[in-house]
Amino acid sequence: MSQTENADAEDATDATAVTANRTDGRRASTTAGETVEETRPEWTSYEASGETKVAVEDLDVHYGDDHALKGVSMDIPEESVTALIGPSGCGKSTYLRCLNRMNDRIRAASVDGTVELDGEDVYQDGVDLVELRKRVGMVFQSPNPFPKSIRENVSYGPRKHGDIETGLLARLTGRAEPEREARLVERSLERAALWEEVNDRLDDNALGLSGGQQQRLCIARCLAVDPEVILMDEPASALDPIATAKIEDLIEDLAQDYTVVVVTHSMQQAARVSDQTAVFLTGGELVEYDDTEKIFENPESQRVEDYVSGKFG
Amino acid sequence: MIAVSREAYRESLDELRADVESMADGVLWQLRRALDALEGGDRGLAREVIEGDERVNRRYLDLEGDCVELIALQQPVAADLRFVVASFKILTDLERVGDLATNLARYALAGSADVVSDVRVGGIGETVTGQLRAAVDAYADADSEACRAIADRDDALDAACQNASDAVVRELIASDPDRWEIERLLDDVSRLLLTIRDLERIGDHAVNVAARTLYMNDGDLELVY
Repeated sequence: MSQTENADAEDATDATAVTANRTDGRRASTTAGETVEETRPEWTSYEASGETKVAVEDLDVHYGDDHALKGVSMDIPEESVTALIGPSGCGKSTYLRCLNRMNDRIRAASVDGTVELDGEDVYQDGVDLVELRKRVGMVFQSPNPFPKSIRENVSYGPRKHGDIETGLLARLTGRAEPEREARLVERSLERAALWEEVNDRLDDNALGLSGGQQQRLCIARCLAVDPEVILMDEPASALDPIATAKIEDLIEDLAQDYTVVVVTHSMQQAARVSDQTAVFLTGGELVEYDDTEKIFENPESQRVEDYVSGKFG
Repeated sequence: MIAVSREAYRESLDELRADVESMADGVLWQLRRALDALEGGDRGLAREVIEGDERVNRRYLDLEGDCVELIALQQPVAADLRFVVASFKILTDLERVGDLATNLARYALAGSADVVSDVRVGGIGETVTGQLRAAVDAYADADSEACRAIADRDDALDAACQNASDAVVRELIASDPDRWEIERLLDDVSRLLLTIRDLERIGDHAVNVAARTLYMNDGDLELVY
């Protein structure tokens, strides 16, 4: 996070009264008295059609002194694609990582507010993080398959979660389920639109696949544990246009059964794949959240307008 | 018009706006000359208008190409997108006005507009020209209020056209023409009715320009149909 928020700004009772855009010291010192457009609550009070899958209320995240996310309230509707866009350091990835508590791994991070998955607070005591991350899976920017066979990459999760019995004991006692495992691998790879390309070499090392195939394998690995929500952090930014198109098709397809949340720097990608778009701007604030058509055709906020049309600074 | 950077992109948007305005000026010029030819029975002027339509059509295709290129290369969104889309639609309306001006010039070649004493085509022509001028200005100034005012005034124009057409038919009936007179009047009367209809249509295109301008300004489609 490049954002550094002054202590006095944090103390301001009205968060929207914080005016200066303090991305760097020079700017902050010259913007005294300049007013940045105020965020109106109705710009983010969007209610999507469909049931809420993830409800987020007043989410604040600090990384040490950095205020990375400021009072974000934003619900994610189920079985749809929600895109998060905004410049680097705007808090969109921070928001994404709060949904399955990936921020817990960062020591200095503190999270306030509530995140509810199907009405259950994911930050309450006693939440099983392994179970949470099974329900809320994640796909990262760079494909990160395990240096194992394609088959093992997909069956790794279900084995770990005990969905498939494969151990020596299971084999000895006849509880091993090789056919069930094979079905699961096939189904997951098919769902990730990779089966056709790899079904004759499931025991090859996954690292021999192309970047786009590796990313679809990571999606298959995520699907194998039967998640409900899939978080994607720039899933296609390391891929060529053809591989990107396949991932985008896949995202749309997955949204029929899963709740997909995707962070992207490509505004055209957000426009192509998402049903609703949230725009975060520097300072960790959610400025506008609405139907994707509305954001790209006629946004309410001037700053969002400038951002999506590429007018910066 | 190849935009190589964001700055060049902004410039191509400004250029498109200026080009649409200048095409509109050309079309208005065609329209005024067509009306002059019609009123003054100036056949030479009428021929110039008819020949001038080729220029309007070429300009239209050029600017349409510019819009397509902007969309293909720059993928404009939000206000920029509404501007390009509105301009694209407005260009079509302007081109149609050019065609209708050509129609008026053809009527001028075919004969006089003073067939029926009560009906002054020139007055309707002035109103229509004013409406189109106002719509083009509203586009240039991004003036939403002006757009609504143009749409409001269109009802009066439609009524004036209706009254004029009625008067033509009424006078024809009242004159109680015999068979030979009907043959003689047929061309003149139908030409006059077509003139009135074409003027009314130009008024509709002016409203279309205003409607697309309102969409461009506010994302508001209320005036589109």
